[in-house]
Amino acid sequence: MAGPIINDTTVKTKERKITIDPVTRLEGHGKIEIFLDEKGDVSNAYMQIPELRGFERFCIGRHVQELPVLTNRLCGVCPAAHHIASTKALDAVFSAEPTATAKKLRELFYMGQYTHSHIAHFYALAAPDFVLGPSAPAAKRNILGVVDAVGVPIGAEVIKHRSYGQKVQEIVGGRATHPVFGLPGGVSKQISEEERVQMENMAKSCVEFGKFSIKLFHDLVLGNKDYLGLILNQDAYYLETYYMGMVDKNNKSQFYDGDVRVVDQTGKQVVKFKPSEYLDIIAEHVEPWTYMKMPYLKSVGWKGFVTGPSSGIYRVGPLGRINVCEGYTTPLAQAEYEVFRKTMRDLGVTGPVHHTLAFHWARLIELQHAGERMLELASDKSITSDDIRGPWNPPKEGVGITEAPRGTLIHHYRSDKDGLCTMINMIVATTNNYAAMNTSVKQAAKALIHNGEVSQGLLNKVEMAFRCYDPCNSCGTHALNGSPALQLTVRKADGSVVKTIRNF
Amino acid sequence: MAMKTLVVGVGNPILSDDGVGIFAARMLMERGIQGVSIEELPASGLELLDMVLDHDRVVIIDAIQTKNGSPGDHYIMAEEDFKRTVHGTSPHGFNIATALAMGRQVVPERMPKEVFFVAIEAEDVDNFREGLTPKVLASLPAIVDMIERDLIRRKG
Repeated sequence: MAGPIINDTTVKTKERKITIDPVTRLEGHGKIEIFLDEKGDVSNAYMQIPELRGFERFCIGRHVQELPVLTNRLCGVCPAAHHIASTKALDAVFSAEPTATAKKLRELFYMGQYTHSHIAHFYALAAPDFVLGPSAPAAKRNILGVVDAVGVPIGAEVIKHRSYGQKVQEIVGGRATHPVFGLPGGVSKQISEEERVQMENMAKSCVEFGKFSIKLFHDLVLGNKDYLGLILNQDAYYLETYYMGMVDKNNKSQFYDGDVRVVDQTGKQVVKFKPSEYLDIIAEHVEPWTYMKMPYLKSVGWKGFVTGPSSGIYRVGPLGRINVCEGYTTPLAQAEYEVFRKTMRDLGVTGPVHHTLAFHWARLIELQHAGERMLELASDKSITSDDIRGPWNPPKEGVGITEAPRGTLIHHYRSDKDGLCTMINMIVATTNNYAAMNTSVKQAAKALIHNGEVSQGLLNKVEMAFRCYDPCNSCGTHALNGSPALQLTVRKADGSVVKTIRNF
Repeated sequence: MAMKTLVVGVGNPILSDDGVGIFAARMLMERGIQGVSIEELPASGLELLDMVLDHDRVVIIDAIQTKNGSPGDHYIMAEEDFKRTVHGTSPHGFNIATALAMGRQVVPERMPKEVFFVAIEAEDVDNFREGLTPKVLASLPAIVDMIERDLIRRKG
């Protein structure tokens, strides 16, 4: 196959405002506006995210036990994460400690979600940039182009293992996409021995696919000096922020349950907190030009879209998790983590990895870990026990936190004595990353666009700066025509359209 | 061998008209048409591929918003109509057309011979609430009749 197309020819634009609308390969409609100064350099850039309305009002007055199946309707991409966070919030609302079996089943289900989600992101969203190149023709730069380039058998493996992730969720959760099994203090469905064996076999295959995916990343990306150059480009893809993610008592990375750890730009622990303490740690900033709030560390403060120790901006998701943890509990993920650390150390990076595109590598290490952990849990014969529900108490207020594939996800509910919801607050992963994503977009635009010279490849490289976060906006809207491709609009200062470039 | 037909309603049932495909599918479910399986798809993309494999005919019902459409209008489309959108777009990886195209690329022997899309013009897809807006709701029985008569019972 021909090599990837990294660069293309730029065209000089006389306009002062560049709009990327809507953002491609991003659930929900995003829009990027890039403003140029008189010299044609970037003066500012914004990423706007629209909002679906009325969800909180929709939930108030309903029974809190409905929330795990309602909140997961917020999104067609990560419903499982909402279901788990919501179920954990109900554990807290009803002071209900789940049984050991229930915890294992929830975590097993969740490893299915990680497997499905991380495969979809890497192969469908990231791989087009790494296999075909950021400047490859837009019509080819998609999953179909990837399969053309790498071969149909690999495409079949992608479909198969993503489907295994879904199947595990379906077996444990009742339904793959909008699960129904989470109850305060447990789960609603027992697993049979046949189902356990079926999941064990799928998990074995997922471990192998994790190995394959990591090797592919080494061959395609790390083995290509142009890509390595992109990843290490500190002008375009590098933010020294705080990081947040879940860990166990040994600071090993955890997805389902644990304490939330925050580290600073040097890797030093700032705080480790329990779900009920989140309001002491996180505050939210509001900008006039977007509906989505921007969380920041309360103890540090909001200083705008800047980085460094005095700015409370933090990052979550695979990069956040790999930077707050001291490794993984499973051997293959741990081994690759050590390769990751050594590679970065050899490049002079001793603390957290601030290179934004390293999100992709971290995500694949997590794919490996999810497969291994899935196998550990599915091999445990005790998961077929009927001890799936613990006792519960009268409802009150509670917070549940889990690590969604995209990052830390917080659900907070208050209930009256009859179990009716009187307050709901959620901070979702993409919201946690929103300030950082804006900062990344601005940084990449400033580094890559000069003298008004733009090209589709350059603009795609700006998109790469936030695509690696795997953002997922408040979604659920997927009208058939709802996602036209990337459109770049050049406007005069009065907003009238002078020229439109489409890549579809 | 009897023909295997699948109807998939796509959308979010608590996001106003976004859920119109789901409601249409539920109405068809109540009719209990023999040899037809009905599924709800609350997500976009590859989940659809898992569902359609090994069927002969698939009818996908979803919401749409077009510039000059009126709420409750409907359009019947085929896979070819999505050629323009298959390439270059894909929310969180896969939209429906991309998922079908990938299926034809990777597992062509298991893909349905016929795929019909029924797109129903939506008025509100931005506000969380249960139920459809009045015009869309009023249009639904006739659209469901049409789907059963012209697509599901169509001679293969």
